[in-house]
Amino acid sequence: MLLAVDRISVFYGSARVLSEVSLHAAAGEVVFIVGRNGAGKTTMLKTIAGFLHPAAGTVTFDGKKISGWLPERVARLGIRYVFQDKRVFTKLTVRENIELAAFAAGVKLHEAIERVVQIYPKIETFLDSKAGGLSGGQRQLLLIGRAMVGSPRLLLIDEPTEGLAAGTIEEVLRALELMRGEVTLVIVEQNLAVVSRLADRIYCMKEGHIPAELSQPADIQNQACLETYL
Amino acid sequence: MLNSTLTLLRKFDVLIIAGLFLLLTPIISMDRSIDFMIFCIFVLAYDLLYGYMGRLSFGHMLYLGVGAYAFTLSGAYLSGNPFLALLIAVASGAVVGLILGPIIVRTTGACFALINLAFNQVGLFLAMVAFAPWTGGEDGMSAVFNKVWIFDFSKHTVVFYFSLVCLILVVWLVRRLTGSLFGILLRGIKENETRVQFLGYNTFAVKMVAFIVSTSLSAFAGALFILNYSYVTTSFIDPLRSVEVIFASLIGGAGSVYGALVGGVCYKLISNYLPNYIQRWEMFLGAVMLLLVFKFRAGVWGYVVSALKRYEQPAEESKPHSEVSR
Amino acid sequence: MISTLAYGLTVGGIFYIISIGLSLTFGTMRIVNFAHALVYTLGAYILAASLQNLGVGFFVSAIIAVIAVIPISYLIERFVIRRLYGESVDYAIIATYAVLLIGVDAIKWIWGAIPIPLSDPISATVALGGVQLPVYRLVIILISLLIFAGLEIFFGRTVMGKIIVAGLEDKEAVASLGISVDKYFAAAFTLGSCLAALGGVLYAPITAVNPYMGFQVLLICFAVVIVGGLGSIRGTFVAAFALGMVMSITGRFYGPAADTMVFVVMGIVLIFKPIEA
Repeated sequence: MLLAVDRISVFYGSARVLSEVSLHAAAGEVVFIVGRNGAGKTTMLKTIAGFLHPAAGTVTFDGKKISGWLPERVARLGIRYVFQDKRVFTKLTVRENIELAAFAAGVKLHEAIERVVQIYPKIETFLDSKAGGLSGGQRQLLLIGRAMVGSPRLLLIDEPTEGLAAGTIEEVLRALELMRGEVTLVIVEQNLAVVSRLADRIYCMKEGHIPAELSQPADIQNQACLETYL
Repeated sequence: MLNSTLTLLRKFDVLIIAGLFLLLTPIISMDRSIDFMIFCIFVLAYDLLYGYMGRLSFGHMLYLGVGAYAFTLSGAYLSGNPFLALLIAVASGAVVGLILGPIIVRTTGACFALINLAFNQVGLFLAMVAFAPWTGGEDGMSAVFNKVWIFDFSKHTVVFYFSLVCLILVVWLVRRLTGSLFGILLRGIKENETRVQFLGYNTFAVKMVAFIVSTSLSAFAGALFILNYSYVTTSFIDPLRSVEVIFASLIGGAGSVYGALVGGVCYKLISNYLPNYIQRWEMFLGAVMLLLVFKFRAGVWGYVVSALKRYEQPAEESKPHSEVSR
Repeated sequence: MISTLAYGLTVGGIFYIISIGLSLTFGTMRIVNFAHALVYTLGAYILAASLQNLGVGFFVSAIIAVIAVIPISYLIERFVIRRLYGESVDYAIIATYAVLLIGVDAIKWIWGAIPIPLSDPISATVALGGVQLPVYRLVIILISLLIFAGLEIFFGRTVMGKIIVAGLEDKEAVASLGISVDKYFAAAFTLGSCLAALGGVLYAPITAVNPYMGFQVLLICFAVVIVGGLGSIRGTFVAAFALGMVMSITGRFYGPAADTMVFVVMGIVLIFKPIEA
């Protein structure tokens, strides 16, 4: 088991956002977390990534207990967190955005760029534009591509298709499909069509709990079935 | 048992406060006692903004100075009546608050601190240079008043009892203000102003009132200082001295009347007696401030309060909570 | 007129050099650092001490001053600034002000409170437009331009600089790449402190070296940072020179009001563009 989250409880101040929740992901799996707004999905990802620390429970990655670690230390183990809201470094160019990732991973810049281009070929045309001028879809793909620099082992992606047009969603899907097998994916998504196309397993989250875990393709691809849990 | 004792103490706290100051006087000398009391008025005025409304001002000496100079100038150019001068001082403080308020009160945090400081610098400049012909500039000027009825302020005992009464009045006033709906709104603004606005309150008006009260009371304290010293200098409007009242608020415990009083007395004790023992007492002051910020935020009174609370109730099961990384 | 212009640019250049550190610390850590004034003052004092006691020239003393400030700045960052991360602004102000107080008192203890006059290291003048201008002032303007160019290169071309720019915008995202942002912010802090010390060194011959010189310049630097936009390095550049000119021109017409005018400008800016701090 690559990633094991064991009964974590997370608070914001005195409000309990996650109540003894567990989940896991095996190497190479594509796992989705679905649920309504406020269910605690982002909190889950942030806790795994180290931006939040659980008050109880543990997060284990490749046998190591990483709960309580600083986010940069977690990242150096090979875990990448792709934030919601398509947060790129707007003042830097696309190339420079990748440069920072390459620097952090100890990878040569041109190799890093090749990696990103593999996942998102169109990016070659605007490598030297300021990232702030990119559209939502371009930013999202830059972020996903950038996260793949340095061959990470686990990607935590928060709502990659939020706010994107159908065509762009296809592009994101294609990129994620390319990455399947190379890296383990844990993705928070509200777009159930996307979920049913990619998922190996699904966790349904509701109010800080996980009432259901689906692993049968029949269940996963039946969207009505999913909706009953949300 | 403790609860009922405390409630009893609270009812007569004004008397207790007066009593404590009377007791203090023979120990530290009447002059100092007067000084302490007037400073406490200033701390109360300051705490209204800092402790209750959550705004740190770095230039409150401006309002103190305005009161001090208005008081003196009134005596020199208008009339020898000290009460008229006091009134004019308070009014000046209020006017300055009214004029600067709309600008200052909209800001918060560092902005608030700095803009107060900037205005204070301007005030210092005006007192020291621009209006020097009238204010005596760096040399200052003396304040002489006539005797009015039984109030002969050239006698220290008269000043002492007058200051004591003033302090009690201010304590009562601040207590009424902060204990009312106004006080609740103030604290609400400190925590989350938007929420208070959503409840339908005009937070700007609330902030303005608090600001004007604070500046007026500060001016009042300034005037009282001059009543005691009979001489005003630019040190009463010097922004560098803001640290005094900030320290007092911090060490006493921000946001409480008792805290303000404790803090005021503490600071004055330190500044009066410590230099006799430690030459570099300002360094010591800075070190204590650091200690307070990092370890003892609640100040002396805050600790007393939490100690009492713990004594009254057994410790609840402490709730676990996550820390956010940064 | 020309001498007023030159003075304005000189002073503006110095304000720029000092204010960068302030702007960076606020931009990266959201901390209003009053202790910045201490580093500035120390720069001037160590310069004076080196000149008087080590018998070396101005240039060498200047370098000593700028370098000597590094360990002090490290101590401040490590033991005070770092503990203020994420704290409310008020506590940051009080804590850093306390550091300033301690430092100023220490300076008074070591060197006394009497101002130390320093002479112009390049006591030559040059004729420009019919006026004799001290070469030293022109050198200061040149240095500040060089520093601007240097910082542009640093933030625009080096990885470290880009990390800081990225961190200024989105600290968490930088951390998620595996970069220890705090180390870079600490480096930015040190850079800012060294520049402040340099500012103190450069300004020392023009004004008198006294324990309170930090206070005098601090408020003006806050004004620069506020007018220029917190965390904006280019904005600081423009604002510094603009305010320097305000000071110089006001000084020409009504000397003592020079400083005050700067605050009036700051006040006006704050009215129209209040900062969220």
